[in-house]
Amino acid sequence: MKRSKLVGLTSALAVSALSLAAQEANPVELRKQLEELLRVQRQQAEQIESLRKQIEVLKGQPAYPGAKSVTLEPKVEELQSRVEALTEASKKTFAGQFNPAFGFVGETVFGYRSTGSDKNGGARPGGFDANLRSGELTLQAAIDPFAKGYLVVNGSANTQGEATLGIEEAALITTSLPGNLTVRAGRFFADFGRLSFRHDHELPFVNRPLVLDSFIGGESRADGLELNWLLPTRHYLNLTAGVGTQLGGDAVASPGTYRAANELTFWTHLSSFWELTPNLTLEGGISGLLNDRTESRGGAIVQADGSTLTERRRRVLGLDLTLRYQPLDAAAYRGVEWGTELLFNHGDYDFDPDGSLDPANPTGTAGFPALSGDEFRGYSRTMGLYSYVATKLNRDWTAGFLFDWMQNLPGVAAAPYARPDTFRYSPYLTWKPSETQMLRLQYSFTDERRASGRADDHAVYLQWTYVLGSHTHGFRDR
Amino acid sequence: MKALLRHLFFLLLLISLSRSSAAIRIITTIPDLADFTREIGGKLVEVESLATGVEDTHAVPVKPSHAAKLNRADLVIALGLDMEHSFLPALLEASHNPRLQPGKPGYLETSAGLTPLEVPRTLTKSEGEQHAQGNPHYNLDPVLGRVIVNNIADRLSQNWPAHAAAFRAGRDAYLAKLDAKIAELEKLAAPLRGTKFISYHNHWPYFTARYGLVYAGTIELRPGVEPTPKHIVDLVARMKAEQIKVVVREPQFSEKTPSRVVEQAGAKLVKLAIMVGGVPEAKTYLDLIDYNVRTLVKAVQP
Repeated sequence: MKRSKLVGLTSALAVSALSLAAQEANPVELRKQLEELLRVQRQQAEQIESLRKQIEVLKGQPAYPGAKSVTLEPKVEELQSRVEALTEASKKTFAGQFNPAFGFVGETVFGYRSTGSDKNGGARPGGFDANLRSGELTLQAAIDPFAKGYLVVNGSANTQGEATLGIEEAALITTSLPGNLTVRAGRFFADFGRLSFRHDHELPFVNRPLVLDSFIGGESRADGLELNWLLPTRHYLNLTAGVGTQLGGDAVASPGTYRAANELTFWTHLSSFWELTPNLTLEGGISGLLNDRTESRGGAIVQADGSTLTERRRRVLGLDLTLRYQPLDAAAYRGVEWGTELLFNHGDYDFDPDGSLDPANPTGTAGFPALSGDEFRGYSRTMGLYSYVATKLNRDWTAGFLFDWMQNLPGVAAAPYARPDTFRYSPYLTWKPSETQMLRLQYSFTDERRASGRADDHAVYLQWTYVLGSHTHGFRDR
Repeated sequence: MKALLRHLFFLLLLISLSRSSAAIRIITTIPDLADFTREIGGKLVEVESLATGVEDTHAVPVKPSHAAKLNRADLVIALGLDMEHSFLPALLEASHNPRLQPGKPGYLETSAGLTPLEVPRTLTKSEGEQHAQGNPHYNLDPVLGRVIVNNIADRLSQNWPAHAAAFRAGRDAYLAKLDAKIAELEKLAAPLRGTKFISYHNHWPYFTARYGLVYAGTIELRPGVEPTPKHIVDLVARMKAEQIKVVVREPQFSEKTPSRVVEQAGAKLVKLAIMVGGVPEAKTYLDLIDYNVRTLVKAVQP
């Protein structure tokens, strides 16, 4: 329709032009011009028709020889509409383009313990319990070409069911330092040992091993700076050295008005890896922690007789080993992991028989507890380990067994107790129907040998963990 | 004793630091990419693949030794489209090699220039482990293998222009062999047109499109999610109703459930490889595509 209009318009203009020209030219010349114009007009009409036919043919032609014929016009229109929709969508969300990746991990632990917290030393009441152990919001993004950052905000319920919220980690990591170096700074779970840097929901069992809770103070949370060096060798060797104000989940900043350099906490971790066969690997590590001024880490430990112990200095040495059998052709279905970590703790304590050194109840001046003259300083050397074996039953199910042994710290195990050791035996079964949901059933028998002043405890836990939104597979999660 | 250990340590350090050759060190995520790169680069390159070929591509074990290899590499080549999301980002982070990070010349995803299939309209975990950028198993279509080869050759030439001519020659020589195999398989695969099949995991959309098969579903409930008993019952019923006679099992998945499905549905079980090295017959990429087509053709023939 449009083409015929165009032809008509061209003809009309041509005729008009001729009529104007006819006023100044002779009839013979005019006829020639008219014939010439009509010839050009016919040629144009033929060309238009030819092009129209070509377009029609091309519309139905295959994309390449041998392919099926397709009608392009609807596809082009569909593509155009999709491109427009995408363009519009990008305009609408542009303000959020640089937002970090968000993720959330929720974890609830249902449990039963045969003894109360006064007898088992737990943070939760004995008997039946349902505990929103943690809800972790994670954010991560690149900061600039030289660093990236991440944040972990943890919310949980205390024993009264009240919500508590805290920054578990907030750190930046350099991404382009030379010499195989990276620096991490801020608050983070320090690279110490084998599992202490893992969040509770990332552990291979329900509860953190006794020795990590006691010697490290739960997770290896630190405020400070950590330097990591991957040695430029064919064999994997990784060295970390860190410094901070504290290290440990229950850590609090040291009191006082001035902190000398030697009162900071220092830690290091050297790890290596051996590929014994393609399916069998061995990882080993050695860790060290020096904390010359622990002050009130965990507060004064009050014993049954009212005497107190206040930790003043601690040194921890750790050895860790992981043996993994992962058949490459069936890693999702089969595999065995044996992990062990042995920790030695050397702590200096202020012993106070009458409890007057208890910093939580100071009776002196300027925040310092009063001394009544009976205090003395001593040290305690203790050690402990955990060892577990986990075997994959199939793609979703894993069965495991965790063994805990620990020589108790002085608060629990001081004289006159004859057997200061605590043992725990925990078989467990994990069901992971997808990458973002996990249920774990665990039974734990804690053998306190009664001499420690605590009672044996039977516990059953059901841990239910889920992930919302973005999640990553970190190198340390392997 | 201490002095001996110290000397030994420094000796090992020196040995490790000394480069064994002047070749360009390249790490690929899967053996297919390693095969292409060797063909293009010849003696100029020293190539190693992180996966051996028998693994689940979504769950290649994260080994610290891989981080050490990446630390020394000049280029890392990945399929992309999130195929390596479960292991490569973690390894790159641990490699401490800024040259190999995404966006840098030392990082190549070979998916550039191809149109991904099955790009999800909605991203939701209720659909299982979705790939936001589309299905990443395009290496199973030999015609898209050409795209991969070209992308690798281009990046090698860009990063090492002094050897561009050699890379072009290597590429052209390999593409000639690949094209011949593509033409051969195109004829061989004629009986596959219209054949309905199911597989354990959704590895096959590109392969299906190339050879005119009809993809009828997966044994997995959703990508990365094992089947429920009801899903298997429904699947078997549908296979019977729709006369689906072929079940493809990828080597890294258990044979137990597929065997039960074929037994109940009266179908044939076929093992196809998803990358080079997945089966003993697939030593190279040309072997891989040849093995997959021939095995499937054999299965559909009466």
